[in-house]
Amino acid sequence: MSIYLDHNAGAPLRTEASAAISRLLQDAGGNPSSVHRAGQRSRRALEAARAQVATVIRPADTRQVVFTSGGTESNNLAIFGAITAASRRRKIISSTIEHSSILAPLAELERRGFNVVRVAPDSDGRIDPARVIAALDSETALVTLGLANSEVGTIQDLAPLASASKASGASFHVDSAQAVGRIPVDVDALGCDLMTLSGHKLGAPAGIGALYIRDSAKFAPTIFGGPHENGMRAGTPNLLGAVAFGAAAEAAMSTISAESQRISSLAASLLARLREAIPGLRLNGPLVGRLPNTINLTFPGVLGESMLIALDLEGVEVSMGSACAAGAVEPSHVLRAIGRSVADARSSLRISLGWSNTAEEIDAVAAIIPAVWRRVAAAEPLSEASAR
Amino acid sequence: MKRRVLVAMSGGVDSSVAAAILREQDYDVVGVAMRLAPEPTSPVATAPIAKRRGTCCSHDDFEDARRVAERMDFPFYVIDLRADFAARVVDNFVSEYLGGRTPNPCVMCNREIKFDRLWSRARALNADYVATGHYARIERGADGKFHLLRAVDDTKDQSYFLFTLGQDELSRTIFPLGAMTKTEVRARARALGLATADKPESQEICFVPDGDYASFVERRSTPAQLRPGSIVDVDGKRLSNHAGVHRFTVGQRRGLGVASGERLYVREIRAESGVVVTGTREQLDSSGLIANRVNLVDDSIASGNEVSVEVKIRYRHRAIPATMRVDPERRAEIHFASTGPAVTPGQACVFYRGDEVLGGGFIERALTEKAAN
Repeated sequence: MSIYLDHNAGAPLRTEASAAISRLLQDAGGNPSSVHRAGQRSRRALEAARAQVATVIRPADTRQVVFTSGGTESNNLAIFGAITAASRRRKIISSTIEHSSILAPLAELERRGFNVVRVAPDSDGRIDPARVIAALDSETALVTLGLANSEVGTIQDLAPLASASKASGASFHVDSAQAVGRIPVDVDALGCDLMTLSGHKLGAPAGIGALYIRDSAKFAPTIFGGPHENGMRAGTPNLLGAVAFGAAAEAAMSTISAESQRISSLAASLLARLREAIPGLRLNGPLVGRLPNTINLTFPGVLGESMLIALDLEGVEVSMGSACAAGAVEPSHVLRAIGRSVADARSSLRISLGWSNTAEEIDAVAAIIPAVWRRVAAAEPLSEASAR
Repeated sequence: MKRRVLVAMSGGVDSSVAAAILREQDYDVVGVAMRLAPEPTSPVATAPIAKRRGTCCSHDDFEDARRVAERMDFPFYVIDLRADFAARVVDNFVSEYLGGRTPNPCVMCNREIKFDRLWSRARALNADYVATGHYARIERGADGKFHLLRAVDDTKDQSYFLFTLGQDELSRTIFPLGAMTKTEVRARARALGLATADKPESQEICFVPDGDYASFVERRSTPAQLRPGSIVDVDGKRLSNHAGVHRFTVGQRRGLGVASGERLYVREIRAESGVVVTGTREQLDSSGLIANRVNLVDDSIASGNEVSVEVKIRYRHRAIPATMRVDPERRAEIHFASTGPAVTPGQACVFYRGDEVLGGGFIERALTEKAAN
């Protein structure tokens, strides 16, 4: 049996989500847009799911939650939707530590002539809101930032940015894929125009996500077709995914404070035991103001790639940076951005906990990781690998 | 407890079948594809879709290897050894060419990457063995010593590239294809339903896919490192000029840029002075060679005594009878039994006795009758 510690990449399917899918499969409905009763049943299921999903960000109006195919689509819809609506403005403000589904669209827009400002974080991964505000001007179409960083877990202080964005006429998009269901998020209190949600980080299957679109947002649709999802995102919604997302969201929210405590103490216990067993182990990201489930560690004297594979062969599943097209792992751009050397970034792993993890698993992992580290450090010392 | 073996998979049919055979033999197989060569420039979004998918052959090759791992149900990983490959293989390739020699990067890759660097990774992953799809055999004798032997399929035999392996390496290496012919390997791949069954052979040096070594060396060098000079005949008469000794290899006939009544071949490259000496076919003949950095599969023949062997001085050459003496500095002096072909410094010289590889070294220079004594 393997121990899954990569919830930030995607959580295992929650039993509640799986049950919701099974129920829906029993009652094969029609297209939620159809007139007949099969369509009506589907529509009811879809709207119930929408209400459940909305609870993770508590909007005043749940109809503002639009289902998408996932976090990447939501980020793309938000970015292209906002810049399309702000036709004249050609500037976008973001940061250097965003997810690829923000960085890549921005690189593409830069190629098309947009001015993209990427604010650098401090050494804990915090974006200083003052630096974002300083970059805001009448040319700015969009501010797009993650609420919690997927790799080091830093939670950003985005509260000051809603009013500042509004004052300069820019849209404000927040990618909360890693935050929702783990920490309380209130989209109205935050005041952003657009917010990305992802299903599979919460224990729904991959292939379902949502974009919150405030009624007052400057947003233009970029996928055209039927009138689904209030005309914001054409295409028959993924109903199976939506009901699973709804069930997973409800399960996450019903236990969020207890679960956040539990995960936080498991992670703290794991970190303490690893630190004791591995001299020189370094935590990346802040000690406080972080996601309770995410620990990013630099292991002295080893390649993270070797650790990752060795751990996998021992049944412990963690991650490192992101995979390239060929399937090899690349050093994390986030670690580079917070000032770690390429060598340190190559020696780092991300451990991310979630609903599926137990205290027994963490006990096991607290023994396995140091043993694997000792073996890898002895067999394949960094001094032997070429200078990078 | 199953024995774990790390199988180096290129995505070709040979390593695919090697991995599959070990899997069927109930080894705990872990497949790895090594990322070695630098990436080509990434495709732009406006390129035709087929080009975007296929720009880097190695990515497709890794996908082929991955499919084999999925089919045979063993774990598979892509590992990044680009920095090691650049430092230990590519830099050596460039400096050898700049030094007027003709390197064999596959030998270096085996020595430095597959049977050294990869072995460290294997130990890190708790593996007992490293396996590859090389056509060669390893046998353990009654004396407990390991012997490296030619493959059963003489047309595919790759033992030439493996002479750097010593007892330690051989004891933890598996060549599952050594007793098979290429035809049998392909048939096996088809029977196993492997997607790689009918893949064509790869020929070029993997990091110079266009085969243009001279341009590759120039891109990796500063102008000051290049050694231009003159092309002369055996009497030292200047025939023309050239742009760098790295553009030549001993035995080469084409591309000399010399108009001559006779067919001329490169006979000698003097890197320091930039002089490329040419001669007729007959003037290429040699009587033997000096090899350095000699490795002996079994050190016990390094007695300093003269031994009879057969030597192979290029991969595609046949082994020829010779006598050899290895000195304590790991240099070998080799005399061919009869006049030998052009000797190319930088290439590997591998010593055989029948089917067995006794060892090998890197060619330092040719011996001619006159210089031999």
